[in-house]
Amino acid sequence: MSALEIIGVRKTYGEVETLKGIDIALLSGEFLVLLGSSGCGKSTLLNIIAGLAEASGGDVRIGKRSVLGVHPKDRDIAMVFQSYALYPNLSVRRNIGFGLEMRKVPAAERDRAVREVAKLLQIENLLDRKPSQLSGGQRQRVAIGRALVRKPQVFLFDEPLSNLDAKLRMEMRTELKRLHQMLKTTMVYVTHDQIEAMTLATRIAVMRDGRIEQLGTPEEIYDRPATLYVATFVGAPPMNLVDVAVDGGALAFGELVAPVPRLWEDAVREGQRLVLGIRPEALHFGGRGDHLIAAKVDVVELTGPELVVSASVGTQRLTACLPPRTRVEVGQVVELSFDADAMHLFDADSGRRIG
Amino acid sequence: MSGTWMTTRAWLLMTPLLAVMIAVIGWPLVHTVGLSFTDAKLVGTAGTFVGIDNYVRMLSSANFQRTLVTTAWFAIVSVAAEMVLGVLAALLLNQQFRGRTALRALMILPWALPTVVNATLWRLIYNPEYGALNAALTQIGLIDGYRSWLGEPGSALTALIVADCWKNFPLVALIALAALQAVPRDITAASLVDGAGPLNRFRFVILPYLAGPLMVALVLRTIEAFKVFDIIWVMTRGGPANSTRTLSILVYQEAFSFQRAGSGASLALIVTLLVTLLALAYAALVRKTAGRTA
Repeated sequence: MSALEIIGVRKTYGEVETLKGIDIALLSGEFLVLLGSSGCGKSTLLNIIAGLAEASGGDVRIGKRSVLGVHPKDRDIAMVFQSYALYPNLSVRRNIGFGLEMRKVPAAERDRAVREVAKLLQIENLLDRKPSQLSGGQRQRVAIGRALVRKPQVFLFDEPLSNLDAKLRMEMRTELKRLHQMLKTTMVYVTHDQIEAMTLATRIAVMRDGRIEQLGTPEEIYDRPATLYVATFVGAPPMNLVDVAVDGGALAFGELVAPVPRLWEDAVREGQRLVLGIRPEALHFGGRGDHLIAAKVDVVELTGPELVVSASVGTQRLTACLPPRTRVEVGQVVELSFDADAMHLFDADSGRRIG
Repeated sequence: MSGTWMTTRAWLLMTPLLAVMIAVIGWPLVHTVGLSFTDAKLVGTAGTFVGIDNYVRMLSSANFQRTLVTTAWFAIVSVAAEMVLGVLAALLLNQQFRGRTALRALMILPWALPTVVNATLWRLIYNPEYGALNAALTQIGLIDGYRSWLGEPGSALTALIVADCWKNFPLVALIALAALQAVPRDITAASLVDGAGPLNRFRFVILPYLAGPLMVALVLRTIEAFKVFDIIWVMTRGGPANSTRTLSILVYQEAFSFQRAGSGASLALIVTLLVTLLALAYAALVRKTAGRTA
């Protein structure tokens, strides 16, 4: 059963259209991540779901019921904000129980629910503190607790980890994943961080300029990006993109001439301008792949688990993620190879995936 | 550079300011304290030492006690009304609507007017023969005939409080509006999702951010209201039947109308002491509020 349906949602501010018709149907228990850069409309969409902004067109259904015009408190949702949004003068206990207090839930029942959530989030010892006496990570746990305690149909998260440092962000990410696996609730999560999206989501909607560029599982998004934008937005370092042309049934790129894989034979035509995509981690050092390219090493960066090598082939640049102990020198001409099935092909004009 | 030289230089740099402060504040204050222990008249003899007689006489006089009550009433009612009106105006002007900027600018106008202009304006409004208030109330049938609002002891003080509120609530509104801008949008949104209605939202979300700045406004306005002189002097001169006489007016009358410089000085010092106590009490409150909302 669909827990959340977004049907043709549009949003305009005067002349500017920030959402251009969004359609998503979310099954109960799904974890949807809205992923995109600043200004793509992801937070606007979340606010429309929450009822904090009005849609200019379309419909939002939560549990089959249209919630357009319904007050946020009556939508059966809970929301976690980037800035935690805790009430500064209330204790952690009252912050978590605030939604229940406003709904006039009896004090004993409220207290029991707060304790239960505090135990789940391991913040039982903080219940009598004020938000100003908490660290960033503790504040975010309280904010999550405030959402969990109400047991709503849909949880909304607006970049909840953005204000945390890198280490804490990773810990909280795992914590959120654990919570989702345990509670199996429907969650919509906004972020611009592709790692958060890939690790947390059961489905990702990559958004750009008020549209959904691609909606799919993390594997689909990563393995079969629908557009050049998705290909470059997801993956770090981003996918290598090189301009190629179809010449005599082969893809010509520098000295490399690779036969058009059989999969794409019918989809491309002679002389067509294409963009060939190869993920940095699909490039191997030496000649063990199907295709070989000679590239001159420009920069070598050791990140710990891998060696990121930036190299140039003519005027085009390539990035390769190699094993950390690979012996590569700046200025050296190396052979990089890749397998035919690691190739992604996009139409240069439309930016859409071929095949 | 040695510490001694730094200290000497600091004192040297401060000397001009200290000299000015001693000349315009210190010396008159010391002189007033000295004067308050004498029976000096404004003109004529320097007066003889009478000890604390002036203080005892002033504090035990029915005039002083009645005036203290009038002053306290004026300060409490006008400041309370200004606070409520100011916060309501700020909440209204914090909403999104067409013409908001123009209305915000207009709101400051009463506060920007000189007190004398404001007082004259309200005297015209309250005028018993052609005043706008009488005309309006008669036309809507609330009163049968024109009344002398400033000429009747029962209504004069209230009329003054209204005039004072009209002038000063914009200051409170301005401070409250600035504080409202600092309320994080996320917290307001969170309270909406949590189901807080307007009253609970005000109590739990907005008030914590308003409390500190409002406390400052409260301190400023209470002290000013306690010292009020100009608006009352222009509108009623403390009358009718001393019903609008405040402590500052009493000091003026004692020192200048009755030319009793000695007892006038003692009265002025009593007012100064009361205002200082108020300021200290409020300062403690501000510190407490700041500690709570930090």
